[in-house]
Amino acid sequence: MKSILRNAMLPAIALALSPGVHAAGEHGGHHGGDSIGEPGKAEDVSRTIDVTMLDNYYEPESISVKPGETIRFRVKNDGAMVHEFNIGTADMHEAHQEEMEMMVEHGVIKGDKIDEDMMKMDMGDGKTMEHDDPNSVLMEPGETREIIWTFTEATDLEFACNVPGHYQSGMYGDIDFE
Amino acid sequence: MCRATTSPACTAILILNKRVYSMNKRILAAILGGFVSVAVHAGEYDISVDRVQIDTGDFVKEGIGYNGASPGPTLRFKEGEEVTINVTNNLDEMTSIHWHGLILPFEQDGVPGISFPGIKPGETFTYRFPITQAGTYWFHSHSGFQEPNGAYGAIVIEPEGREPFRYDREYVVQLTDKHPHSGDRIMRNLKMSADYYNRQQQTVGDFIDEAGEKGFMATLKDRMMWGDMRMMKADIEDVQGFTGLINGKGPEQNWTGTFEEGDRIRLRFINSSAMTYFDIRIPGLEMTVVQADGNNVQPVNVDEFRIGVAETYDVIVHIKDKEAYTIFAESMGRSGFARGTLAPEEGMTADVPEVRDAPLLTMADMAGHMDHGDMNHDDMDDMDHSDMNEDEMKGMDHSAMGHGDMDHGEKSGLPEDPFYAKGSGLIPTASNGGKFLSYQDLKAQKPLYEDREPTREIELRLTGNMERYEWSINGVKYEDADPIVLQYGERVRFKFVNETMMTHPMHLHGMWSILDVGEGKWNPLKHVISVAPATTVYMETEVDAPGEWAFHCHLSYHAAAGMFRKIVVEGGPDDEVATDEKADKGGDA
Repeated sequence: MKSILRNAMLPAIALALSPGVHAAGEHGGHHGGDSIGEPGKAEDVSRTIDVTMLDNYYEPESISVKPGETIRFRVKNDGAMVHEFNIGTADMHEAHQEEMEMMVEHGVIKGDKIDEDMMKMDMGDGKTMEHDDPNSVLMEPGETREIIWTFTEATDLEFACNVPGHYQSGMYGDIDFE
Repeated sequence: MCRATTSPACTAILILNKRVYSMNKRILAAILGGFVSVAVHAGEYDISVDRVQIDTGDFVKEGIGYNGASPGPTLRFKEGEEVTINVTNNLDEMTSIHWHGLILPFEQDGVPGISFPGIKPGETFTYRFPITQAGTYWFHSHSGFQEPNGAYGAIVIEPEGREPFRYDREYVVQLTDKHPHSGDRIMRNLKMSADYYNRQQQTVGDFIDEAGEKGFMATLKDRMMWGDMRMMKADIEDVQGFTGLINGKGPEQNWTGTFEEGDRIRLRFINSSAMTYFDIRIPGLEMTVVQADGNNVQPVNVDEFRIGVAETYDVIVHIKDKEAYTIFAESMGRSGFARGTLAPEEGMTADVPEVRDAPLLTMADMAGHMDHGDMNHDDMDDMDHSDMNEDEMKGMDHSAMGHGDMDHGEKSGLPEDPFYAKGSGLIPTASNGGKFLSYQDLKAQKPLYEDREPTREIELRLTGNMERYEWSINGVKYEDADPIVLQYGERVRFKFVNETMMTHPMHLHGMWSILDVGEGKWNPLKHVISVAPATTVYMETEVDAPGEWAFHCHLSYHAAAGMFRKIVVEGGPDDEVATDEKADKGGDA
């Protein structure tokens, strides 16, 4: 029964893992772009932004970037819960939330713990539940990680934690384009 | 004095320390000079207790209100504030105000006969206490049936630091079950005939229909069995015939909260009903539960939730369009409902759903009532009603028992909820087939107390005789009972064993009720613990508040009938019991 369940969730997890470089869905916002950007190179970094994750909100709650800018996000989980820092559009976050819901249901995320072994487990066809998108980090309390990201064009973006309930209760921040 | 694990004062100091870094030197000096002098916000509030008219849209009734209206005003406090509240009694009878869920000195708790004598007609009583918590709470009279008669209001406390949420606007959504009869009259009628207000009794017509389906003998046995228990399957709500109100407005008057497209809205649901649990949903919107009984919980996305009497739940909804949405609150027994609307502008409405069919109690719900000794009450997980006392069950035609299963057969495949008896007719399901909140989902966002072993366990059997409308604890009603004596500093595990067929929202004053959901340190803090029929529920309490407190079922007529206890906390931080000023206690707790 368990293995059937796991297999059944594979396509969804695979979706979560594909770096969604292009924003799905439409956004009537003022920016009009549809690219969330791409993984950046260390040598292109123009500045570092420190982001602290707390239960359940970010500090800061909005950041300003310029199109073409490459930023190093130094993200620290200062909360008592598992949190995510994920760059995407509201629709992408919504889609990802369903997958995270499954990860919680299957015990991959348990409150303040991530079951790394379960995430790395080979699901039978070389795929795993690893959460290693370049636009996202999923962290236990106390961890600090970095993302280097190049914002290619002005798009309606948010950084968000898609652990169930966190985004909905307010764990998101706005990315404003100058 | 400052006990690291339990004292709210310690928490406050920790917060202060954190904040010191961002304060300027002058304030820093003031803090170092003496913690107490930190610019304490002090607010003074005046409340009058008045005779008012309550118009539900269905009927107009004289009642009791605050500052000329029912519900009364929403009191907005700030954590850390010292409040002074002048309550003037304009009635020709005694009154009182209890600050439901607030942690405060017991003399300020407002229970006549326990915390103070009450407020005489024409008198102004001044409450003074520090606000040591944040969240959504409420206040109500603790005298007679003034609360069901309209004497209630909301309390919203802003935290010292930031809210760990983001929302654009907020509304209090305060529910009640306004009845055309006064509280005294209802109690008299219930005492005369416990089913006086039960309009959903099964009729002779039902009997004939059912006999046609199941056979005459099976139906007769089923009825006789329930008759033996002096209960009926429809005994879910013992006071029917009310109009559900949201913020004082009936379904037709349609309380409306406005919003702008894209808003996130925090709704602070408070159930101020005398007797009624509500199942709440907003068709078309997912709700994220972020707080229960004033304490932040790890957020849970739900489609529907059940709010027990005197509980509060805060939810956040995100509305992405310009449509209207109905807030629909059906009573648990489906005998009534409350309705309001969230809309981009006043006057816009959305469809109001039909009230679903009334649930019926099943054999599982009567298990606690039938069998007091042999059932395994020790472990909720192990609760298995197949272990029910064979002797009492013997000779019963099991086809008659099937009745409950037949009515609720479609529920058999659903996950069980340990907070309901297995096979209970009360297990709620979301109308859209989605997620219905369970107590199991409630986990503290930030535990207030360190988890530790309880020092002892106290068993409280919730008992009653429906026919005589007697409600009691361990078979003894309040007037015949000794107080429960606790020692300051202990952690008591309360074991509620519900031996009745009704759901009882148990409310401990003055100290938090830590509901055991099996999550250790993440067990949530509440002030009301709802105990469903034939279930055993545990809560633990850090006994950190000296004095004398009330502990009772929050169903108004159950509390009045005797499901009530006085709690005495002996000892204290200075090892001194404040018992000297209580000479002239009397009144009508």
